[in-house]
Amino acid sequence: MANPYFPKLVTIEKITIENEARDLKTFRLAFCNRDDKKSFKYECGQFAMLSVPGAGESPIGIASSPLDEQYLEFTVKCYPTGVVTTALHNLEEGARIGVRGPYGNSFPLKELERKNVLIVGGGFAFTTLRSTIRYMLNEKSRARFENITVIYGARSPGELIYKPELKEWEERDEIEMYVTVDRGDEDWKGREGFVPAVLQEIAPSSENAIVLVCGPPIMLKFTMLPLLDLGFSPDRIITSLERRMSCGIGKCGRCNIGTMYVCKDGPVLSYKQIQELSEEIF
Amino acid sequence: MLQGLIKKEDLKKLIASVKKEGTFYGLIRGSEGLSLSELGPDDEVTLDYSNFKMPPKRQFFPFSEVICTYEDESMTDLPLSEEKAVIFGVRPCDALSLLYLDKIFIDEKFTDPYYRSRRDNSLIISLACREPLKTCFCTSVGASPAGKKGADILAFEVKDSLLFEACSEKGTRFMENYPAIFKKPGKADIKARDEEVSAAEKRVQTIDLSGITEKLQGCFDSPLWEEISQRCLGCGVCTYTCPTCHCFGLYDEKVELKGRRIRVQDSCMFPSFTLEASGHNPRTSNEERMRQRIMHKFRYTVENFEDIFCVGCGRCISNCPVNMDIRETLAEVIK
Amino acid sequence: MNNIEIKLKDLVKDLFAGEKIDVLIGYENGSLPLRSRPCFVHSAGEVDRLVWNSYCTNNLAVYLPRIFQRQEHKKEETPPPRVGIIAKGCDARSVVGLLKENQVIKENIIVIGMPCSGMIDPAKVEAALDGAGPYSCQGEVDGSLEVTTSSGEKKRLKREEVTAEACLECSHPLAEGADLQIEGEPKEACDERYEKIREFEAKSTEERWQSFVKEISKCIRCYACRQACPNCYCKICFVDQTKPRWIGASDELSNVMIYHIGRIFHQAGRCVECDACVHACPMDIDLRLFTQKLVKDVKELFDYVPGLSVEELPPLWTFKQDDSQSFITEP
Repeated sequence: MANPYFPKLVTIEKITIENEARDLKTFRLAFCNRDDKKSFKYECGQFAMLSVPGAGESPIGIASSPLDEQYLEFTVKCYPTGVVTTALHNLEEGARIGVRGPYGNSFPLKELERKNVLIVGGGFAFTTLRSTIRYMLNEKSRARFENITVIYGARSPGELIYKPELKEWEERDEIEMYVTVDRGDEDWKGREGFVPAVLQEIAPSSENAIVLVCGPPIMLKFTMLPLLDLGFSPDRIITSLERRMSCGIGKCGRCNIGTMYVCKDGPVLSYKQIQELSEEIF
Repeated sequence: MLQGLIKKEDLKKLIASVKKEGTFYGLIRGSEGLSLSELGPDDEVTLDYSNFKMPPKRQFFPFSEVICTYEDESMTDLPLSEEKAVIFGVRPCDALSLLYLDKIFIDEKFTDPYYRSRRDNSLIISLACREPLKTCFCTSVGASPAGKKGADILAFEVKDSLLFEACSEKGTRFMENYPAIFKKPGKADIKARDEEVSAAEKRVQTIDLSGITEKLQGCFDSPLWEEISQRCLGCGVCTYTCPTCHCFGLYDEKVELKGRRIRVQDSCMFPSFTLEASGHNPRTSNEERMRQRIMHKFRYTVENFEDIFCVGCGRCISNCPVNMDIRETLAEVIK
Repeated sequence: MNNIEIKLKDLVKDLFAGEKIDVLIGYENGSLPLRSRPCFVHSAGEVDRLVWNSYCTNNLAVYLPRIFQRQEHKKEETPPPRVGIIAKGCDARSVVGLLKENQVIKENIIVIGMPCSGMIDPAKVEAALDGAGPYSCQGEVDGSLEVTTSSGEKKRLKREEVTAEACLECSHPLAEGADLQIEGEPKEACDERYEKIREFEAKSTEERWQSFVKEISKCIRCYACRQACPNCYCKICFVDQTKPRWIGASDELSNVMIYHIGRIFHQAGRCVECDACVHACPMDIDLRLFTQKLVKDVKELFDYVPGLSVEELPPLWTFKQDDSQSFITEP
C-alpha cells in the first residue's frame, strides 16, 4: 500500500530572492529520482506539500508551468510565525527537501480555450497565476487562447515578484500587461493605484472572457464588485483559496469548509461556488 | 447466519486459541478503570460495563503514530503493522463508528495505509448492550443496542453464556475455525436473547432528529451558535472521546539530524486547528468552532456520505466538564 | 426551591432591574444527575433558570477573562459588559487572582458570594455505587444523598463521603470580599489539610516520581484542565506556541509531562485549590496532588495564600530580603 504521506526527495537547484523585503523566495527544485519526476504530473493552479524534515510541511501553490519540463518552482513567503516557511528560507542551494503532490484541482484551462483571459493578481498570490501565464504564453499552447490581459499589483515596486518575467511580458505583443503598485517611489515610472481601481480604469471587456483572480482576501473582497460590474458572471470569476492543511488529501479535516475540503475539492473555485458556501470567505 | 454458544468461563479457551495467531483485546478493569487491553489467558474479561471511556478508534487511529523517519537527508516510511487482532467487547454503537471512519481513511484515491492495515487485520466482536446509560441515544442516530453494522460477530449475554452471531464473512470464517468451542444454541437461548434485546432497546432514550440536516442547512448564521457555545470551555474532550472524530495534524520532531514525522489527532475545538502560518485564522471564536463540529457531524457528512457521523454513544455528554449536551444542542437547532 | 436560591434570584432580579449588570454568570440545572452547570443570564426574565444546590462544582471565574477578551473579536466597538458572577469561596478567590493579574475590569464585575456548604462529586457517588450503572438522585435527606440505582435499589450515601475533595479540605468556604453576600450557613473552614501531601512528601524521590508518572500517563492531551482553570487565560498557551515549539505533539510521556509540569508550575502562588482541573479531567488524573503540593510549598516558603487580597503582591512577582532559599540547590 503506497504511503500517501510520504514525500518525494528533491534538491533545491536555485533560490531567487523575489522582493526587497527578502521574505519571498522562489525555489527551483529537481527530483532526485527520475521516476518521481515522471509521476509528478501537475496542472496550473495545483499545489504541493513542501516538506522540510524537522520543521514539517506546508501547502504551496506551484509557480512553474507544466510545460517547464526541467524543473519545478515554488514561491514561498516567509512568515515570522511560520515554522516551515522560515526553515525553507534558511536553506541554501543544494539542500534536499521533500515534495508531496500535486494536490487539488486546477484552473479550468480547457474552458479558457478560444476565450479572452483576464488575469488579476495581487501581492505574492500571483504564483499559480504566473504558472498559468507561462503555460498560456508557451508556443505550444498560445494559439488556443484569445487575448490575454494581466493586471498585477503589489504594495510597492520592491514587492513585485518575478520582475524579469514581468519585463519580458510587457515587451511581448501577445499579452497585455498592467502592472501597478499601491505606492511608487522616486524610480517608479509605472502605474499607481490599488488593483480594484486599476481594474475599473482599464475596464477590460467581459465578452467571451473568463477572469482568474488571486490575491489577499481584502483585495479579493474589493475586486469582486468591479468584476461583476464589468459583466463577469460569478461562474466566470475563478479564484483560489488558502486554508491551513496537514494531509492535502481530504482526511485531516483542517481545510474543511462545508462539504468541501479545500485540498481536494479546491483550491480553485468560482465566485459562484464561493457564494454558495455558508462560511464567509473574504 | 452462523450462531454459536460459548460459556462465559470458556472465553479463556477462545482467548488462548486466538493468541496462537494474534492478539486478543478485551475489557479489563484495572487500577485505572476500564480499558480495552491486550488479554492474556489469565486475565479476567469484564462483561459488566455499559461502555468504556476511550472509543475503539484508538485501536486503528492511535492518538499519535510515526509515519516516517528521516536521518540526514534520507527519509524512510514506517512498515505497517501486521498484527492480527480480535477486538472483543466493543459496543454496537462503537462498531458502527468504524464504518464511518472507513469512509474517511479508505477511499479510491487516497487510503491511509496505517489505518487500513489495522482494519484489515482485525476482527470485531461487539457485545450487545443490556444497560444503556442516561447519555445513550444510539437508536436516534441509526445505531442500536444490538446493531450489527460494523461488527464481524455480535455477541449477546445469555445467562451464563455468550451467544455469538456471525455478521460478516470474516466473522463466519472465524467461528468455523473453532468448532470445538462453540455449541449450537437452543430455542430458549434465542428467546432469552430476543427478550434482552428488545428490553435494552426500549431503555435507550430517544431524541427526535428528523430534518436535522435540513435545519442545519438553514442556520449557519443563526445567533443560536453564540448562545449554545457560551458555556463551552473549548477543550478537546468531546472530540477526543468521540468515536467518529478523526481530524489530525502532521508534525515533525527532530533531534539533531534524526527525526520523524508523526500523525497526531487534533481537534476542531482548538483555535490552533485552523491557524495559518500568516497568523490568519478563519475560525477564531468558540461559536464558529462549535458550529463546525455540529455541522460536520450532522450536515456535511450527510451531504458527502449520507451518514450522520454520530453513533449516540454519549461520551461527549458524560465527559464534558460543563455538561454540554449534544442532544440539547440538536434540539435547539431543530426548534 | 431552597431559601438561598430564592434570595439569590431576588438579588439578581434587582441587579437587572437596577441596570447594574448586563449578564450574570450562574448555575442552571444540568442534563445529568448531580449536575448543575454554568449558565449566562441576560435579563431579569431569565433569572428563574438559576439554581443553587450541591452540584454547582464549576469555577465560574473561568469565564471572566473570556468575556472581556471576546470584545476584541467583535467587529463593532461596544463597551465591555457589566458582569455579575455567582461565587463560592473558591470562585471568589479566583476573581481576586484575575483582578490582581489585570485580566478583568474591576468596575465591571459584581461578585455575589454564596454560602457554600461543599459540592458533591459525581465520581465519588459512582464509585460508592460500585459501577451499578445509571442512577437517579432524589436529593439530600438528613445529611445524606438519596439515590436510586437502575435496578430500583434505593441507597443513602453520607454527604461527607461523596463531597468533593476540594470542598472537604476547603479553607475559605465563604466568598470573603464579595461585593454582595447571600446570607446562609457556609461549611466550616477546614484546617486539617494536606494529609495526602504529607504522605506524598514522605515518599522517596523515586516513589514520588513514579506516582507522578502513573497519574500523568493517563493524560489524553485534551487540555480540559487548562481550559477549566481561571488562571489559564493566556491567549496562546506555551504548548500551542510553534516558534519555538516547546513541546512535541505526540502523546509520548515526555511531552505530556512537560505540559503538566509547565501548567502546574504556572500555578505556583496562584492556585486556589478549586479543583476545576480535577473535575474537568475525563481521565480522572489526580491533579490535586500536584497543585496542592505547590500551594503548600508556597505557603511554607513565602507564607502566602493566593486569592485573598488584590493588593498583596504574589511571591513570584516580587523579591524579599528574607525569602526562603531552601529550595535553591548548590550545583
